[in-house]
Formats: sequence, C-alpha cells, structure tokens
Amino acid sequence: MSDIEFRLPDIGEGLEEAEIVEWLVEIGDQVRRDQPLVEVLTDKSQAELPSPVAGIVASLHYEVGDIATVGDLLVVITSADGSPTTIATAAAERQLSPMPATAPATPTPTSQRRPVKASPAVRRRARAAGIDLAEITGTGPSGRITNDDLAAATESPDSFGGSPPVPLIAAATPNPAGGEQPLGALPIGTHPLRGVRRATARAMERSWAIPHIHGMDEIDASNLLAGRSRIKELLGERAAGLSVLPFLVTAVARALARYRTMNASIDTEAEVIEVHGAINIGIAVATERGLLVPVLRAADELDLLTMAGELSRLSKAARDGSISAADMSSGTFTVSNYGSLGGRLATPIIRAPEVGIIGFGSIRPRPFVVDGAVVARPTLPIATGCDHRLIDGDLLTAFQEHVIALLTDPVALMVR
Amino acid sequence: MAPGSTAPTSTHDLSDDQLRQLLREMIGARVFSTRAFNLQRQGRAGTNAPVDGNEAIIVGASHALDPTTDWVLPQYRELVGLQRFGDEVIDRYALYITGHPGGGHLPEPIRVWPPQISLAAQIPHAVGLAWGLQLQDTEGVVLVFFGDGASSEGDFYEAGNFAGVLAAPVIFLCVNNGWAISTPTHRQTSAASFADKAAAFGFPGIQVDGTDVLAVHEAVSAARHRALAGDGPTLIEAVTYRLAPHTTADDPTRYQPDHEVAEWRDRDPIESMRRLLTSRKLWNDDDEQEANDTADERMELAVQRAESAPTPADGFFDHVYATPTERMIRQRAAFRAHYGQEDGQ
Amino acid sequence: MTDTATTASMTMVEAINHTLHREMARDERVVVFGEDVGHNGGVFRATDGLQAAFGSRRVVDTPLAEGVIAGTAVGLAAAGLVPVPEIQFLGFSYQAFHQIAGQIARLRYRSQGRFEGPITLRAPFGGGVRTPELHSEAIEGQLANIPGLKIVMPASAADAKGLLATAIRDPDPVMFLEPLRGYRSIRDEVPLGDHLVPFGQAREVTPGDDVVVFAWSYMVEVARRAAEEVAGEGIGARVVDLRTLVPLDLDTIVQAVEQCGRAVVVQEAPETNGFAAEIIALINEHALWSLEAPVMRVSGYDAPYPVGRLEDRYIPDQGRVAAAIRTTVATR
Repeated sequence: MSDIEFRLPDIGEGLEEAEIVEWLVEIGDQVRRDQPLVEVLTDKSQAELPSPVAGIVASLHYEVGDIATVGDLLVVITSADGSPTTIATAAAERQLSPMPATAPATPTPTSQRRPVKASPAVRRRARAAGIDLAEITGTGPSGRITNDDLAAATESPDSFGGSPPVPLIAAATPNPAGGEQPLGALPIGTHPLRGVRRATARAMERSWAIPHIHGMDEIDASNLLAGRSRIKELLGERAAGLSVLPFLVTAVARALARYRTMNASIDTEAEVIEVHGAINIGIAVATERGLLVPVLRAADELDLLTMAGELSRLSKAARDGSISAADMSSGTFTVSNYGSLGGRLATPIIRAPEVGIIGFGSIRPRPFVVDGAVVARPTLPIATGCDHRLIDGDLLTAFQEHVIALLTDPVALMVR
Repeated sequence: MAPGSTAPTSTHDLSDDQLRQLLREMIGARVFSTRAFNLQRQGRAGTNAPVDGNEAIIVGASHALDPTTDWVLPQYRELVGLQRFGDEVIDRYALYITGHPGGGHLPEPIRVWPPQISLAAQIPHAVGLAWGLQLQDTEGVVLVFFGDGASSEGDFYEAGNFAGVLAAPVIFLCVNNGWAISTPTHRQTSAASFADKAAAFGFPGIQVDGTDVLAVHEAVSAARHRALAGDGPTLIEAVTYRLAPHTTADDPTRYQPDHEVAEWRDRDPIESMRRLLTSRKLWNDDDEQEANDTADERMELAVQRAESAPTPADGFFDHVYATPTERMIRQRAAFRAHYGQEDGQ
Repeated sequence: MTDTATTASMTMVEAINHTLHREMARDERVVVFGEDVGHNGGVFRATDGLQAAFGSRRVVDTPLAEGVIAGTAVGLAAAGLVPVPEIQFLGFSYQAFHQIAGQIARLRYRSQGRFEGPITLRAPFGGGVRTPELHSEAIEGQLANIPGLKIVMPASAADAKGLLATAIRDPDPVMFLEPLRGYRSIRDEVPLGDHLVPFGQAREVTPGDDVVVFAWSYMVEVARRAAEEVAGEGIGARVVDLRTLVPLDLDTIVQAVEQCGRAVVVQEAPETNGFAAEIIALINEHALWSLEAPVMRVSGYDAPYPVGRLEDRYIPDQGRVAAAIRTTVATR
C-alpha cells in the first residue's frame, strides 16, 4: 500500500492554473487507473484528469470553484501497488539545480572607483609588474593608459609623458560663479536649514575638520589675456564669449596630472589614500539655492573649445536647477573662481574627501615688479588650499608654481 | 516475425486470422493513444496527438506493405498503428511522448522513421528514399503519411512533382480527416478532392474510404504493385474524420459541429470492422476483451520502461555530429561542471 | 594525407570539377544532383563532364525546386547513398531552408543516430560579379547558427579540392560554399593525387606578428592584398584563412591573437550578427588579455545585398581592410 499524491499537471503547453469544475469521485471511492477524477477548466479548454493508478481516494484538496496552481496537490489515492508516490509534478520538479558553488566567493569591492581605461594587454602587464593602473595618468584618447604610459610609470613614477599636441580653441562660457539674488537679504527670523544650504553646511562642517594649509600668490596675466584676445580674434563669432576660466581649469588639470597626489582623497578611518586615475574638477558655482559644484570630467583630456562648452552647460544647469546628481559627483579636485565676484585673496575650503582646492581672484591691474621696476600689470591672484594630513608645504608650493608657470606663459598650455 | 509471415497479401486473400489481426491492431492503436492522452492529463507525458479515426488507414496500409522491404515515413499520429513493423515501435512511442530523446530512434530493422512535426517535410525524404532504392536496384516501396493540411505545403507539391519525374516507388498517403486543427477541408483546398492533385504530378490519384480498413488495404496494395512494377508513385486520399482533439492541447468543441462528430462516430473505423467480423462470427466479446487487455498491458509495459529509462540531463549533446566538435565538448564539460551528471528525469 | 608528388595549376572551379570526378569514381554511392548540373554541367561548369562520365542515374538534373533538392538528399542518405546536391546560388537556399535547418541538420539527432546525413550541399555565393538579386548573399552566419551542419568555405583551389573531398567523405551534412568571384580568378597549384584537408584547421596565408587578419572564402584574397599593401609601411599582417567555420579552429585563432595582440576580422556578410561577431566573442572569451587594441571588424553593411552598380563599395575591399589594419596597429 502506498499513498499516491496527484498534483495538477500543466495540460496545455504552458498553463499556470486551472479551476476545479467538478469532482467526479468522493473520498473512499475505489477508482480504476485512468478513471476520471476531476473536471478542470483551463484557459484553453475543459478537461477531465484521469487517475494515474488504481486505488482508493484518500483525500481531496480543493473545493469546486477553487483555482489550483500547476503543481498543487489535488488528490491522494491509496494504491494497492507501491509504485511512484508523486505523480504529475515531474515536469515542474525536473528542473536541475546547479551544483553547490565551488567557485571562490566574489571578492567584495574595496572601493567604488570607476575602472581606468586600458587595453587588456596593458592591464595584464600592469598586473604582472605589480602596478595599480589607477596610479597612472593615461595620455591616450579619453585618458586611456597606453603602453608608453605604463612604461614611463615603470621607469619613473613622476615622468611627464610627451605626446602629440592637442587642439586649443574654445567657445563662450558664462561666468560660472555669478548669482543674481540679493545677497545677505535673508529676512529676520528663524529659517529651517534645508536643501542646498543644509547640504552645504554639512559639507563645510566636514571640510572644516580638515587641517588646511594655504599658499597664495599673484600671476602676471598679461600673456594670458593677450592669448585669449588673439584666439577670439582668430575665431571671431565662435569664441565671442570666451572667458579665462577654461584656461585656468586647463592649467590646474595639467598640474594635477603632474602632481597626482594632489588628485587624491584620504580616509583616516580606513587608513587609505586613494589616488585617482581620472582628473575630475569641480567648479564652485554660487546659485540661488546655495553653492553647487558641477564636475568637469576628465578635465585633462578636454581641449579649450570642448571645455568651454562643457563649463557653459554645467553652470547653466546648476543655475537653472536642471543639473543632475551625476554631473555633481565623482569630483577629485575643486576650482573656485571667486574672482568673478570681484575678490582678490581668499582661503578656499577643501571639499572632503578631496585633498586640494584652488581659488582664483579677479584679474585687475595691480602693481607688479617687472625687471626691478614696479609697473601696473593685470594680475591674477591665486590661493591653494591643501589637506595637511596628506600634503605638505613643499608639494603645495610646487603644484601652485606649476599652475602659475602655465598661466604666465599660456603657450605652454598648448603643449603636453 | 519471420519474413514469410510478413509479406502482404491481396485483400481478397486475407485469412480469417489476418482479418482478426487487423482489428486487434486497430484496437491496440486506440488503446495506446488513449493511454498517451491520459498520461498527458496526469502530467506524465508531453503534448501528443490522438489517433482516433485514423486507425483503419494506418493498420490497413501497414498490412499492405512488407516490413522487410518497405519503408514508412509517418507524420505524427501513426506510430501507434505500426506494430506490424516491429513490437518495439510501441516502446519508442512511449519514450517519444514522455519526452525522451530515444523516442526518435526506431531501431534496426524497423523500417519506420521517427514522427515528423514539420508538416509535409517528410514527403521529400520519402521521395529521396524511394529514389535511393531505385538507384540501388533494391526492391521495396516507401509509403509516406501526411494530412489534408500538410497537402497545402510546398514540400508536397515539390516532392510529388519530382517523384513523378523519377517514377520513384513511393506511395503518398494523404489522411484526410477533415480538419487541420480547426481548419476544415473546404478552407484547405478548392480542389474537388486531394486525390485530384495527382493529375498535376502525372501519376494516379485515388480516393478511398479511410474508415474501411479493407478498402485502404486494397488501395495501398495496388499502389505498391504499381511502384514495384516500376510504374511510379500513387497518391491515395483516405477519407475519415478526426474523432478526438487535434492534440492534448486542443479543444475541438470550439469548432467541430456536434452533429458532424456524431455522424462520423457511427462510422468509427474500429466499430465498422468489429461489426463486419462479428457478423462473420470471427469476433466476440472475449476477443474484444483480450484485444483491449493485451494492448493495455503492452502499453503499461512500455510506459514503465519509458518512465524508468535513464535520461542523462546532457543527452542533447549526443547525436548532433558523428564526432562532437571541440566546442560541444567544452560546452558539455561546462554543463557538467555546473549541474553535475544528473539524471534529467 | 596528401600526395603532393604531382600538382597542376587549376582555377577553383576546375579543382571542384576535378574533385567531383575523383570522388564519384572513388565511391559509387556518390550522387550529384541539382538544377542544370547534368547535361549542361552546371551554370558555372562545376559539374561539367560528370554526366558523361558517370551516367544520368548518378548525375541528375532535378526540377527547379530547392526544397525538394535538399529534402530528397535526406532520403537518399537514409538509403545509404552519398548525396552531393547543388543549390545553384546560395541565395536560393531560402526556398530550401526548412529542409536544411529543420531536416538535414537534424537527421542524425532526431533519429538518435539511426540515420546519418553524409550530405555535401554545394552552393556558390558572394558578390562582385554583377549577378541579379539573391545570387550574392553571404549567409554563412545564419547557417552556422544551426547545430548539426558543418560550414566549409575554401579560399584556394587546392583547398577547394582538399576540403570538398573531406566533405564528401564526412558522415555529417556539410554546407560547401564556393565563392563565385573566385571560381575563375583564384588559381593555384592543386595536388593531383589524393588530397584531403581536415576540417577545423585554419591556414596561415601570410606571416606577420603585428596584427592578425581572420578571413574566409574570397575575403582571404582581399585580406592578402591588404596585407601586401601595409607590408610596404612596415606592418606585418598575418592573414589566417579559417577554411571551416564549423568546426572552427579556435586554437589557431587564440594563438594568433596571443602572438599579435591585435586582430581584424573580415566578412562579406552584413555586419550585425555575422560570423565575425562569433570570432570576436571567442577572442573575448579566450584571448582577451593579449589584446592591445579593440578587435576590428570589416564587413558588408546592414542593407540588403545591392544591385550591380553598388556592389563594389558594399563588399569589403583591400582599402577598407588595410585601413582597419592601420587603425588597430596605431592603437597604443
């Protein structure tokens, strides 16, 4: 004697369920093999389900009118011969289950950095040489790390690869820091700290916890302005609104490519220093909602024209509120152009977890010493803030000097 | 079976035992088929196509052939009626409906091809096979089953045309059971009959009562003699009615008129033959019981064998090429690494 | 396997004809049939003289019906013969596709080994000779997606012989695709004796270590000329003729990519989902870490094969292949 479980089969090539229309047997009935037990209604037809065995009906598991799902137990029949104990689930239970996993557990990602760009062969060589590609600046298209980059990194970690010249031309960009709301006009009373202001406040709290050091200087901007004028002259309409900002950002990006430690983040709790492969420069923009910092990705790869267009798009999006979260994430360094507001010197605050920020003051004629004589020159004040936990004064100064050199002689910007 | 006992006999010379055997096999066909239908309703078999209404055509034709020299290419309803070609056919049928790959293997020396799901695709195969027999000067004919619906396929016309050109020893047996799933004959063709289509091929086409096993036997015998004499193909349209759903997945009450079904039930081919033999005192209730029991036991045995047949889960890698390609070997190794060497049952 | 004692210069179509003669003489089970293959000797003369030599029972002109040409091959094979049907142009095989894909390819499988399909279905294909519609389509990628078929695509006269002889002796169905542009333009030394080229063994056509160019059928010749062109610029392009797509010589593909680090795949078929994509996927699976640059693909376009005046710019030519080679080599 054995109990045979009869389960609802899929009788119509992919049916999921059936309605119980009529029981054709009762508990205790003696049934023959293939004697109809129950009439069911499916999406396709009405059908009688015959008993798989001869025996006595031990139990019925659905009421007339119920909907049974394929695989559900319908009837138990006590059979005289001890053949199979479960019928009609063969198809459902025939699924194979995969072998127990023997593969090593998936490693937990240690950081959320984006993969650097490099060909598989370069990756393999880097692995073999024990070099983390994230520490190498790629000079190929889109920042790709080339074999030459890898070779250079292998020989001299700080080498500054010489590569083909890049195009330089730029288009108009509006003043990214401009704001039109009346300043300092918050009405008397208590105001909830919300939105961008709250986010800014929190960010500043975090940033203020960073031990800052600052370096300041002034740049003779004569050549820079002359160069910009010449480009506008050459391009006419196309460069009508070209500001100095793309030049400034380009110079910073070049300096970051040279001094990669400046393009890093620090996490003292995890006790790691993450040096980033990509140079993504945040541009601080004052908006009605507060300070926003859209991010210019792979800034070291952009020519002036492209960069100016991108700066224009980002600052417009920041001001009209259409900027996406993606356009404000993944920054690795920040440029604050407070000079557009008229300022001269300031102490810019780092945006944690970045380790550096550069602020530019307004370009104005100011006394400047040239060949021992004080003359009036358009000067560009520069202030660099660094995280002193990672950056010391020597690196800060070297980095800032490099920016100054590039902006003093902008022809150097045209060459890598 | 000894070759001597398998050679076809002309219809008028059929012995009493042979007549009784025809009925036994017709009953057997329906018992096997009904059991297959129930197995599907019990979740133990996949979609299958009942034979009800076609028994006289299949059994009558198979007895007009010589299983030691002649070949049968079925569509997909015929295996249950081809016991004459080998007892193991029924085991293969049980494997076939329960989804075992071995169901496609009709072993030597059974001259029956596996069921063909692609309608009419077997007709060019039959012509090729008959052509091959002809080229090798091998005696034998090829009989190919197909339905009224399949006759609308291009393969039927291409193969019929070429068979006529070759004068190949092939018999086209069109089982006209009135329905191609839900499409009735008059939506299938505007020809007066399916047999008429032979005119385009340049060989004879005849229509025969498909509910009369002796009429089918006689028609196929004549066609066979023609073929063996080198006179080429014959198209036989055997007219019957589909007395069951198209397949287990079909509901014919949606389209078959009740009165039509009732009329044809009165002409049930098994019932007709039973009446004939009973009237000749060749059949009684004991014979009926015995025929049913024998078939039921045979099918039960076939089902038990099928359900206990080992089914390697990676069996689909077998018999794709004579020697598996390196890629298949890799794929199979990956399959086994992932799933293990389980049984697919 | 090759008796190289004597060779003769032959065009590809001469080599095919020569091989059919030899195989029919060798094995009386071989039956050649198709449209115009008998008295006329085939529209390209590939079967010229066969009917005179072996009779009209073994070399048979069929009615104009591709479906039954392919379909009867199944029955002939089951009868124990070795069918060598011809589809006059591969593009016409669409009218036989249900038999090729649904029946020929599955005969062994659906009968679980009871019946074999030692069928060699020959069909010319390929553009560049101003044929009308549906004469030129390169559909090897579609065929290669059908388990059970072998896909053979010779690029030289010697290979046409060696691969055709192997195909006819193979127990499985072979799609033997002949580049009609190469029928008379490709000429090389063909061994006159028994010559069998095994399936699944690619052939290095030109040496080189800077980049490997994978090609098959007539595109091998295009790739060879491109390799010659860039050789003058100091680029060593290794041209590899895959010869058979199924089975495929993966080892040679992987080895060549590992040695060169750069690869170009050339196909005549439209770009999307062509067999080149399969090669690139395999490189990805088996040789990724050797890649210095993305694998380039040079192919026809995702447009129906064009009429005569447009076809020369549709098919990959020497210039496009050379340009792809330069691009991949320039990637650092």
